[in-house]
Amino acid sequence: MVKVTLTVNNVKYELDVPPLERLIDTLRYRLGFTSVKEGCGRGECGSCIVLVNGNPVHSCLALTSRLDGAEITTLEGLAPAGKMHAIQVAYIEARGVQCGFCTPSFIMVTKALLDRVSDPDDKTIREWHSSVLCRCGSYPYYFEAVKRAAKYLKEGKVYFDEREVREKYHLKVLAR
Amino acid sequence: MSKPDYVEIVEEVFYKYKDKKTEEFKYLGKNVVRWDAIAKITGQPIFTADLLKLVKNPVFVYSVRTKYAHAKVKGVDYSDALKYPGVLAVFTAKDVPGINDVGYVIPDQPLLADRKVRYIGDTVALVVAESLENAREAGELVQVDYEPLKVYLDPLEIIDPETLEEKPHELIHDERGTDILTRYKIRVGDVEKAFKEAAVVVENKYETPFQEHAYIEPEAAIAIPEPDGGVTIYAKTQCPFDTRKAVANVLGLPFNMVRVIAPALGGGFGGAEDVGNEIAAKVALVATRLKRPAALIHTREESIIGHTKRHRTISWYRHAAARDGTLLAVEAKVILDKGAYASLGPFVAWRAVVHSTGPYKVRNAKVDVVAVYTNKIPGGAFRGFGNPQVTFPVERQMDLLAEELGMDPVELRLKNVLRNGDRTVHGQLLDHGVGAEEVIKKAVELSGWYEKRRLYASLTGPVRRGIGIAIFYHGNSIGAEGADYSSASVIIQRDGSIIFRTGLTDMGQGAIQGLINILAEVLGVPPNYIKVEAADTAATPDAGPTVASRSTAMGGNATLVAAYKLRQRLNKLAAELLGCGSPDDVVIEAPKVYCKDDPSHAITWRELVEQAFWKGVPLQEFGFYRAPPAEWDEETGTGAPYFTYTYGAIVSDVEVDLETGVVRVKEATTVYDIGRVINRTGAELHAIGGYIQGMGYALMEDLYYDSEGRLMNNNLSTYHIPTARDVPEKFNVYFVEAGYYHAPFGAKGLGEPSIVAIAPSIANAVVNALRSKQANKLVNKHPLTPDYVYGLIKKAGVKP
Repeated sequence: MVKVTLTVNNVKYELDVPPLERLIDTLRYRLGFTSVKEGCGRGECGSCIVLVNGNPVHSCLALTSRLDGAEITTLEGLAPAGKMHAIQVAYIEARGVQCGFCTPSFIMVTKALLDRVSDPDDKTIREWHSSVLCRCGSYPYYFEAVKRAAKYLKEGKVYFDEREVREKYHLKVLAR
Repeated sequence: MSKPDYVEIVEEVFYKYKDKKTEEFKYLGKNVVRWDAIAKITGQPIFTADLLKLVKNPVFVYSVRTKYAHAKVKGVDYSDALKYPGVLAVFTAKDVPGINDVGYVIPDQPLLADRKVRYIGDTVALVVAESLENAREAGELVQVDYEPLKVYLDPLEIIDPETLEEKPHELIHDERGTDILTRYKIRVGDVEKAFKEAAVVVENKYETPFQEHAYIEPEAAIAIPEPDGGVTIYAKTQCPFDTRKAVANVLGLPFNMVRVIAPALGGGFGGAEDVGNEIAAKVALVATRLKRPAALIHTREESIIGHTKRHRTISWYRHAAARDGTLLAVEAKVILDKGAYASLGPFVAWRAVVHSTGPYKVRNAKVDVVAVYTNKIPGGAFRGFGNPQVTFPVERQMDLLAEELGMDPVELRLKNVLRNGDRTVHGQLLDHGVGAEEVIKKAVELSGWYEKRRLYASLTGPVRRGIGIAIFYHGNSIGAEGADYSSASVIIQRDGSIIFRTGLTDMGQGAIQGLINILAEVLGVPPNYIKVEAADTAATPDAGPTVASRSTAMGGNATLVAAYKLRQRLNKLAAELLGCGSPDDVVIEAPKVYCKDDPSHAITWRELVEQAFWKGVPLQEFGFYRAPPAEWDEETGTGAPYFTYTYGAIVSDVEVDLETGVVRVKEATTVYDIGRVINRTGAELHAIGGYIQGMGYALMEDLYYDSEGRLMNNNLSTYHIPTARDVPEKFNVYFVEAGYYHAPFGAKGLGEPSIVAIAPSIANAVVNALRSKQANKLVNKHPLTPDYVYGLIKKAGVKP
């Protein structure tokens, strides 16, 4: 067993893990972050992408024991409690979500992209998005989501109130 | 004879709104955010494997699969596996308490191989351990005594393509006495005479590849034993009611002791039909025996080996035409490479024969479709279900014919396409909205067909451009395959919020949103009042399988019937409360309810619901709908196979690099007649997503086997699907709305149709780019991989 300290979504975890435990298993099964999906186990589909020290990483190809001291962000940690990140809102509004299995990774890749390039062009978006596979074929909608998110962030709108977003787009609490 | 009330309701609503433009509805046909989007963009545990975190103390199930594609199983020794750390049990065929079979249409597929294995993927034993790793490792220790048999990978080793007779061989299904699964035919008119009189005859051999669904979520199932001896199963399945039946058979339990819940599916495309039954039966067997929750999670390799594929086909087509382009006859033979088990093959083959002459007026036809077993992964359901496999040859033939006749491909299609009042090749009268001509004309206009045809003909250099068209029709729902019914329930809660239940599943396709839109439109409430319950055999009504592009039309009809009845009751009550002249004058625009001549005097939706509660007006309704009967004559291939058809025209604009053989789609135009747009967002996502999936089928996807029957490309690193970089730069999407009176507001399905004609449109565009008569004949199979295209460029002598 190897002792590692990880900060996941701003919370510190001190863990004893087998040397060959994959980061995806640590995040998904040990810590319960279900947004991290396993689609192929060999870094092809991109469904397991998380941010490690701000960089997009296939968590199925990373060993937890090698990541002592790392800062990790999964989709669950993109916004503080009660808030939704502008990128998430942009993905809702672009209406491209179908089965939704790949969507968490597209959002994380978008975060990494927009952290580096505030106003990416089409070619750059396609290159970054080619790291995640979507079989429903939502790609063009996700390109649009990136542009929408870039616009929100430029306007300084980083977080949205979760309840407001929910009521606008989903289930409503009915007034008397 | 009077019609059932549900038929009358659907017809009444159709005719009432027939002439109302879609944009004038409040919720129908609008772009909306789907009901489950927020759960999905926040990473909630909604998929089956996610739910494992809610299950305490599960055991893990691993399937030990055969290493031989065709062999007798003489014995299984798992004593070493049982000694492996953490292993709790090993189960084989003898441990199945009920019927050891999970065949979907016919009982030809054991859950656990008993005396024989028929493809590399058959499960021989289940190893159960405290962890998945231990179960897998112990699986290596299971010793199976095999007697290898000759492996058949090519259906032409089993069937003579000339006579279509079975050749003598070592039977794969010796228990059936034949390896011909099924034969279908069409015999209409006088084909011989038509060919004799024809001015032009074109013929060619065609091949279409296997296709893997490659849904990004690999299969998973979790079973929880119930105190009454029953079992609850969460599984990746498109059809929970079919899964329940399969599990009940395997366990020997009555249906009501087996509860199947289908959580969100990370894609299905038809692939999650059989395998859902199989994995559910495996975990249910283990959970009921060990009295502990049991989980099974496939790796990608297990997923690709363990679920069905789109059937590969080999076909021979002959078309005869008059000098003016009128089609005189079609003669065809189509062989489906069935793989090891029937799965849904009989239905796939039937859909193939029905669509085998395309959406054209054909008076003389002789078609044979034969499904032949081989030792490969079984072919089964995949979006399109037999239709893409015949539309490819038909639409390639039309372009061969156009060239022979010196006609534009569009003109040839317009000359022969089915129109309102025509009869299909089966003799079915098309007595309602046939949008085929309109979809062609619209696709031509949006794609800039004539300008591009002219422009591209003059391009020189190593990079060529080409534009191609393909059209198709696609029968909606399951037709003469079986009983075609649907149901839904709507329960208005006391606070005015609504619970909606249907046994149809969401695998990402979003058809449920269409049902929400119908419910919202009819009741007059916003969609965000409505909560959808997941498909659950113990809670949601059986709505038939979620297949065959039937959810919007068939599920929509059931939803419409329930909503209509509720609305009638609420209108009557509101008219009394508000003093409206007639119940028909009540306007519900929740939260406001008023008489149409006095909007200022209103009550709220919630008040109306409260009054209904106190006055005993029922706030729940069940909607049922049964499709009009379908007819099929096995001897002639005539009748009315489907109650209605979706029509479509696809134009692909491609770039072909003559020096590398690489084909890229630059622009795609997809136009579909779907009767009425119910869920615009979903429809557009299909028009685009279906294109992208079809582009993979056209350009890059196929399965490769070694000589022993082992699949060589069993992960996404070797089975390539389109990525963001492959997506065309531009899409033109348009919907024609030629409504159908037996469907909700006239709507027809689009799930499967959206992939049917993509491959031939791309192939036709490639031929157009190559500008070579020889290439026209050589482009007779796909995928159009760079090496294949490069080879045919050389063979045809196309020079930059």
